[in-house]
Formats: sequence, structure tokens, C-alpha cells
Amino acid sequence: MRVLLVEDEVEIRSFLERSLTEAGYQVEVAPDGATAEELAVEGSHDALIVDLGLPDVDGITLILRLRQLGVKAPVMILSARRTVDDRVRGLEQGGDDYLTKPFALAELLARLRNLLRRHGSGGNPSTRLRVMDLELDLLRREASRGDEALQLTPQEFVLLEYLCRNAGRVVTRSMILDQVWGMRIQPDTNVIDVHIYRLRGKVDTAGHEPLIKTLRGVGYVLKDR
Amino acid sequence: MSSKIAETPLRSAAWRISLWATLAFAFGTLLVFLMLNRFVANDIQRRTDAWLTGEVESLAEISEHTPKDQRYARILSEAAELASKEVPNRTRSHTVGNDSVFFAEEARDGALLLWVGTGTGKANLEAVHGAHLEPDTATDVHIDGYKVPFRVAMVPTDEGGHIYLGVSQRDERRVLENLAWRFLALGLVIVLIGFVIVFYTTRRMLTAVREITEAASRIGQSDLSSRVPTVTSNDEVGQLALTLNRMLDRIENSMHQLHTITNSLAHDLRSPLTAIRGKLEMSLSSANSGEQMEPIVSAIDELDRLSEFLNTSLDVAEARADALRLSRSDVDMEEVLRAMIGLYEPSMSDKGLKISLHNGEPVHVFVDPALVHRLVANLLDNELRHLVAGSSVTVSLRSEDDAAVLTVEDDGSGFAKEIKDRLFERGVKGQASPGHGLGLAFVEAVARAHGGSVTAANGANGGARLEVRLPLAVQPVEVEPMMVSAD
Repeated sequence: MRVLLVEDEVEIRSFLERSLTEAGYQVEVAPDGATAEELAVEGSHDALIVDLGLPDVDGITLILRLRQLGVKAPVMILSARRTVDDRVRGLEQGGDDYLTKPFALAELLARLRNLLRRHGSGGNPSTRLRVMDLELDLLRREASRGDEALQLTPQEFVLLEYLCRNAGRVVTRSMILDQVWGMRIQPDTNVIDVHIYRLRGKVDTAGHEPLIKTLRGVGYVLKDR
Repeated sequence: MSSKIAETPLRSAAWRISLWATLAFAFGTLLVFLMLNRFVANDIQRRTDAWLTGEVESLAEISEHTPKDQRYARILSEAAELASKEVPNRTRSHTVGNDSVFFAEEARDGALLLWVGTGTGKANLEAVHGAHLEPDTATDVHIDGYKVPFRVAMVPTDEGGHIYLGVSQRDERRVLENLAWRFLALGLVIVLIGFVIVFYTTRRMLTAVREITEAASRIGQSDLSSRVPTVTSNDEVGQLALTLNRMLDRIENSMHQLHTITNSLAHDLRSPLTAIRGKLEMSLSSANSGEQMEPIVSAIDELDRLSEFLNTSLDVAEARADALRLSRSDVDMEEVLRAMIGLYEPSMSDKGLKISLHNGEPVHVFVDPALVHRLVANLLDNELRHLVAGSSVTVSLRSEDDAAVLTVEDDGSGFAKEIKDRLFERGVKGQASPGHGLGLAFVEAVARAHGGSVTAANGANGGARLEVRLPLAVQPVEVEPMMVSAD
């Protein structure tokens, strides 16, 4: 997976480059818009990470320009602006994603993976999800573990579905809030943890291998092997 | 907030102005008419009198020079008939004979010698006697049987009798009436035209003012970058628009500066925070024992608290300055509350708290969804943090007048006395509260940015009660396309 990282801050660029490389991506870096344009047009990247505050050009303008030039890779937007510009919202609806600084590295990696998967698969409308012995019937909204049916509330089912779709990948609390509840909020209480805890109580019952793992300070992951 | 400027023409200033202007105009026209009427009446009178005195003189002369034989009566009658045909202002009478002029000669003893006119002349003579006529002047005489007075002139004869010549004022009246009718009709037309002209010009002018008001109120609510429509003319309205636009320029400039400051502050702090967080996370991944991880994890937690504090602080600051940028859309508050309560319910019941939602129907507000989500989350976080096990929280929603009223009430110990009056200030929090004291300040700031308000009180049962009011979504008002200055 080739990723183009467009970021002018040296510190951030270097640690992002390192951690992206460690996560198994091939990373190309560009400190400004002009370099980014050159690199993006030359090489075929699977994803772009673009900081909005570039020295020579506004990040959104750069993205729109790249789109005009035929660059189709999904974009992860990094923004130091707190309030989200309508234009970013527009891009987000076009399939791209955004993160405000400071962000958790794990969050960035999780969202990036999500972005790549969404972009790559195109989303085949399967009606069943299967992870290990956990099975979800998306039409009937029923879940089972082995032969055992799970008694889930509709909300818990949606949450488990989200975890299953991202099985083996880390999902952060804010990703869950965003994707499952449709809210971009950062509650300073443990609301998501309690939901996960309850779900775990129903899914990881005695006699089954625990599937929902907590990664401290990062988020959760549904084991897939 | 839709503009509350009167749309009905009957209540508009244009209507009132044109009404008053028309009244003044009509009054002026009336004055002109009265003067003209008086002038015309006097003129007619003068001409009639001149004719009368002249004619009566000549009749007297004829009478003097005509021998008093059988032909006398015929000659004088003919002369009188002839004279009556020359009456000024005369309109041709349809009746046979002549009832608008009479001629009479009386003897010294008052006997009627000669009578030319309709009737026997007795009534005329009686009236003339009662009127005390002076020679050579014409006088109004009311005669029984005639509605309109006669103008009568008298000349004494040599024999000691009198010669009278009278002309009815009927024709004069008719002329004046005619004049009055025409003037009335013409006056009405003029006044009506005047009214229409005044109404349309003031309306045009005031429409410009109204457009400016509407645009200004729209700008006040949302978009500082647009401008009120400018009129090409350099009159008072044009000046008003220009002045308003200049003021808006300055306001936008200040806002822009505020945004720049908060943005650069945010950016300057955020970039190092991002770098620090990234490095901490990387060292976390290379740490291999729980002992090594613990301080790093807590450092990350602290860092997250710091950046959240920074975010909320800046939001509160911007909202306080009415500079929070809102991306509004139609939001059903009931749906938001259901989702939020669904999100918080597990945490609440985990802590031994109960939460319930009371309301009837969907309540639509026109707000920034992300900010309102955070507002509600802050309220519920607040409850979650402060309530002791066994308490319950009641969330209710209703629409009242033009506001959606969201109430969050608990049966806990209520707000502490020492902070109660300063709840919405930044950094104000209960002693035992672990938060940074921005939660309610943020709630208040968001409500205010949307044109709403928050009130806090201790409820009847002693628990805390927070009431948030947000303006209801209104049907978008149809606005005529407006000119925006190229700026």
C-alpha cells in the first residue's frame, strides 16, 4: 500500500512517516502543495494524507486540484482547525475522511485502513458476516455464537456489526461514536466503554474464546484469528 | 428569526405617509377651490350688478321719453324683453316665457303700472318693498315662490314711482354649482393621482429600506460576508446602505481577526501537541512491560485532556464573541435526545442512575448538529459525573412559542450555593468536580450562538435543573433575490 503524506510540520511528518512505515505502508512525503502535486500525479498512491495548513496552498484547493488531475485515491484530511469547514464536509461525503489535530496515531491508522478498505472493496452487499464462530444475519438482525443465539438490543447489534466489519483492525472510541451513533463528540466519560463492556458480556460468554479485546488508550479490536 | 416588518400595505409606513400627504393635498385643494369659487361668484355678481344698474337706467330713460299712451306698455315690455335676453351668464330656460327676469313700474301710490315677467308681480312687488332698495345699487331680494333670490335694481321715476328690474340668481347659482362639480371631480382625480404617486415613491424608497433591514438581519444571523443591497441613488437610503456596509466591513474584519487569532493559536498549540502525542504513542508501542507503559498512557490521557480543554476553551471564546461558525440544518431534537440517552443509558445504569425522556412529539430546530450533539453530551456528562447512585435524571422536551425547550432535571443535591450564580462562567465548577469547568460554559455558549439561552436553578425537589432554549426551525422565508455589492 502506497501512501502519500503531505505535511509541512517536520516533527509531525517524521513521526507519521515512521509509524506509517512501521504499520507496513510505503510512504512518500511532500512538505508542500507543489511537491505533493508532482508526486501524486507521477506515482499511483492508494491513499493520501493531506494537512490543510500547507505553506503554499490551501489543503482543500490541493485536493480539488488533484481530483481534477485524475488522482482518485481516497484522502485522509488532517486539520488543525477545530470547526469543520463545509468544504471538508463535502469531501467527507465524497468518501474521504478527516481528523482534527491532535489525533491518536491509532485513530489515524484505523481510519486510514477503513478508508482503504472502503475504497478498495466498493462494498459488496453481503447479508451475513462471519468472524470465527460469531455469525451475524444482517437481514434478520440476529447474531449467534456457535449454536447459541445472542440476545442483542438493536443498538448492540449495530455496534457488533461495526466491530465485525472491522474485524482484526483497531477501532477507536471516536470512530465508534462517529460510525455507530453518527456523532462527532468527545465525551469525557466512559460511555463507549460501558457499551463495549455490555456487548462483551453477551458475546464473550463462558466456554467461548473472548473476541472483543481492549487496547488501552487506543480502542478496541475484534479478534479474527 | 424571520423579519417582523409589516408586509401588509395597510400597516406600512408608505401607506401612512401617503395618507397624510393626501389629506394635506386635499385640504390645500379645498382651499384653492374656496378661493376660486369666491372669486368667480364675486365676478359674476359684479357683472350682473353692472348689467342690472345699466339696464334699469336705460329702461327708466325709455320710460321717461315714451309718451304715456296705449303704446307705452308695449314699448316698455318689448324693451324689457329685449334686455332680458342679454342677461349675463344666462342659460336658456326651457319654460315658456321668462321667469328669470322681471320688470316692474309702480306708481307713486305703489300701484303696479306695468309688469313684465311671470305671474302677476304682486309677490315680487311686496318683496321689493320689504327690501329697502337704494337707487343705483343691486340688492338680493327673496321672493315668495322662488327658491333662489333675485338681484333687483331700482330707479325712481319722475312721477315719483319706481322702476324695478330683477334678475334671478338661478343662473349664477347654476354656474357656481357647475364649477363646484367640475372642481370636485378634477380635485378627486388630482388627489387620487397624488396619492398614487406619493404611495409608490415612498413605497419604493421604503422597500429599499426594508430590503436593507432584511438583509441586515440575515447577515446578523449567519453570513457576515454578504452585504445589504446598495441603491444606485446617493440619497438617504443609499447612504444608509453604504454606512451599514462599511460597518459590516469593520465587523467582518474584527471577526476575521478573531478567527485568525484563535485559528493560529489553535494551530500553534495543536501541532506540537500532535507531535508529542505521536511520539508518546510510538514509545508506547516499543514499551514492553506494563510498568513502562503506565506513565506513557497517563501522559497521553493528560495530553488528551489538555487538547480537549483547548478546543472547548476556544469554542467558548468564539461563541462568547458570537463568532462561532455554525453549519445549520434542520434537526429533530427528539431524535437527538433518544440517540444520546441510548448512548448514555448504560453508563448511567452502571452508576446506579436512572434516566428517562419525557416528551410528546418531534421538535425541529435549525441548528449546527455537531455543536448540539456536544451540548447534549455535555449536559449528560455533567449528570453522570456529579450524581450519586440511586438518583434519577429526567430529560424533557417541549416546544413553547418559538423555542424548543430542553430540560434536564435530577433529584440530586442540586447546584452548590457558592457556584450557583456563576455556573456558566469558564472554570467554575463544584469542589468535588473532576472536570475543567468548561462544560456548562460551553452549553451556554452554544445555546447563545444559536440565539437561545440556558437557565440553571435548583428544582422543587432540590435537584439541579437546567433549561436550554433553542429557536424552533422556521419555514425558510421566500426572499427576493437581492443585489450584493461586489465586495
